[in-house]
Amino acid sequence: MTRTLVPVAILEGESVPAGLAELLEPTDVTVLGYHVLPEQTPPDQARLQYEDRATDALEDLAREFGAEEGTADYRLVFTHDAEQTIERVAADTGAGVYAITGATGPIDRLLVTLTSDVAVERIVSFVAELIGDREIGVTLFLATDDESAGRELLETAAGPLSERGIDVRTQLSLEEPPLEALIDAAADHDAVVMGEQAPSLRTLVFGEAAERVAAESFGPVLVVRRLEGEDEREAAGSSSLSDGRDE
Amino acid sequence: MGDASPPTGGTNVEGETPRIEPTVETEEATITDEAELERTLGLSGGLAIGIGTMIGAGIFVFPGLAAGNAGPAAAASFAIGAVVALLVALPTSELATAMPKSGGGYYFISRGLGTLAGTVVGLSLWFGLVFATAFYLVGFGYYAVDTLAELGITVGEGLVIPTALLFGAGFTVLNVTGTENAAKLQNGVVALLLSILVAFLAYGGLDAAGLIGDPAAPEQFAPFGAVPVFSTAALVFTSYLGFAQVATVAGEMKSPGRNLPLAMVGSVVIVGVLYVVTVFVATSAFGSDRLTELGETAMVEVGRHYLGTAGAVAIVFGGLLATMSSANASVLSTSRAIYAVSRDALLPAGASRINLRYGTPHVALGLAGGPILVLTATGRVELLAEVASFLHLIMYGLICVALLALRRDEPDWYDPEFRVPGYPAVPVLGAICSFALIGFMQRASQLVGVGIMLLTAGWYFYYAGDVELRGNL
Repeated sequence: MTRTLVPVAILEGESVPAGLAELLEPTDVTVLGYHVLPEQTPPDQARLQYEDRATDALEDLAREFGAEEGTADYRLVFTHDAEQTIERVAADTGAGVYAITGATGPIDRLLVTLTSDVAVERIVSFVAELIGDREIGVTLFLATDDESAGRELLETAAGPLSERGIDVRTQLSLEEPPLEALIDAAADHDAVVMGEQAPSLRTLVFGEAAERVAAESFGPVLVVRRLEGEDEREAAGSSSLSDGRDE
Repeated sequence: MGDASPPTGGTNVEGETPRIEPTVETEEATITDEAELERTLGLSGGLAIGIGTMIGAGIFVFPGLAAGNAGPAAAASFAIGAVVALLVALPTSELATAMPKSGGGYYFISRGLGTLAGTVVGLSLWFGLVFATAFYLVGFGYYAVDTLAELGITVGEGLVIPTALLFGAGFTVLNVTGTENAAKLQNGVVALLLSILVAFLAYGGLDAAGLIGDPAAPEQFAPFGAVPVFSTAALVFTSYLGFAQVATVAGEMKSPGRNLPLAMVGSVVIVGVLYVVTVFVATSAFGSDRLTELGETAMVEVGRHYLGTAGAVAIVFGGLLATMSSANASVLSTSRAIYAVSRDALLPAGASRINLRYGTPHVALGLAGGPILVLTATGRVELLAEVASFLHLIMYGLICVALLALRRDEPDWYDPEFRVPGYPAVPVLGAICSFALIGFMQRASQLVGVGIMLLTAGWYFYYAGDVELRGNL
């Protein structure tokens, strides 16, 4: 079963909408409570002061995600760098997906965006697992400038979903720029599923696409993690993360 | 290190016990029962702390003073300092990889030698860092006044101390309220500084060696004899105080077994080479008399000698950056040193409180900033530097002793990833040299240093006599 990581800035009063817990019900969930400290503050010093409060809040959250049924647990991390912590815990727990929380009520329809450079198959099989036999519709979205190849990709991806009795629509966008088209489309949906992009100059300048979508739309965004990264990490052992990510 | 530590650590006079919990250290995080602490500093971050703390004093404040005391042989004084620093950096590296926790030298000594030594070192480290920071700030004040002079505004030396005080207060406030990531800024400042210095020293070195430009006036290497070479080494040892600050962030270093030794030894080697070359270049430009006359900012005139106004501006700018980065890095280390002793119930727990608004340790930062301003106001550069060195050297000597003690017993938990080469010669020599350098200091500095140690020992007997820290991980 896929595990979803739900990072929450636990002491900043960030809450998780009920709709997200409901949407993620079929998957295992790890709630990652993190607290970012300025570099003047040793993480251990913050832990001594805030551990109890953070643990209480996390226990409540984990219960919403099904801790009592055994499908959810939590981790508490004090850190100077949230992104590094999310990466590490995702790899550590084997989470294939992480969630960017956003406000949402009951979920009726998901926007699933496909990009040619992110494994379509894994995204589709995660969506199938997530929906199960629930009454949640799917819109497959693809932004491309190659119309015929785009249609073909959408049809291939829609096949296995409709076979499972899921209500699938497709939307092909030839408009530029693709991200803005995606954000427009997200407005009519309750949550977005997308693949994590390889880091590029564009993501360095503008931030990860998933974060931009989450910022522009109100609903939660589920990000299917890249596999290449995991492979590298497994091959090189857990100790070698250090240098590429130097401050 | 997860095995059952002694059940109690004793209590201090207020009934507080050391807050010690079993932890599991991995390459990327420290894992306690309920939470994880992310390790976020890489090798470059560690080097930036070490180099950033050290470089301000050695290059931009001391060359004039040192050359005045020892002549061109001041280069040898800096080299002696580097050797002593290395003899201590290696044992410190071993202990840091065995106990990668915040607190650095204090932590190793309290665990290896017990609470009395720990209290004296922990509290002396606080004062040592306060003296060092005041020294950096006064240096900063001189450069600020010189910067104005380069810009054509002559304000005179009367403004040195007020400027230093203003910026000292500014750093403290910024550290309490600033939540921006200044680590990246610090790395950038250090990289920029190194570039300026390497370019300047390469040109000056070629010139001084007689390969380009006018041949330099030769001067006798050690015009004042051998003793001043050693006493100058004791004075300039303040330029090497930064490497152990790397150990105060040991708990936040990624892959500590590899990065801690590399960062400590690497930063000592890098700054040591730069110092020796700097003094060579400076004494080739001017005679010792002239350098003494030029004082704290002699390097500015050295820059002007080799590269004209551009050289002077580059050095003034570098000096501002360097003294600022040293002062700021030391304020941060001071706050961590206070946290480490307060966690162990040697100071009231309130000293390590974090404020909710900014998430910063405002009490500890205040306990750093207040005394720093008082000392800065004295403006006594040499005294400040020597007392700082005195208190650090005591810690360095005891670090070596702690290593010897731990190696002799080898408790179960003691499993360093890095083992010091040349054991036991290196730690024995490190301890002897550290204590010997103290002997070469001025009487006034020795008295102030001993006074502070007696005070801290008195505090131990009054406040924390029952606290048990030895082997209590």
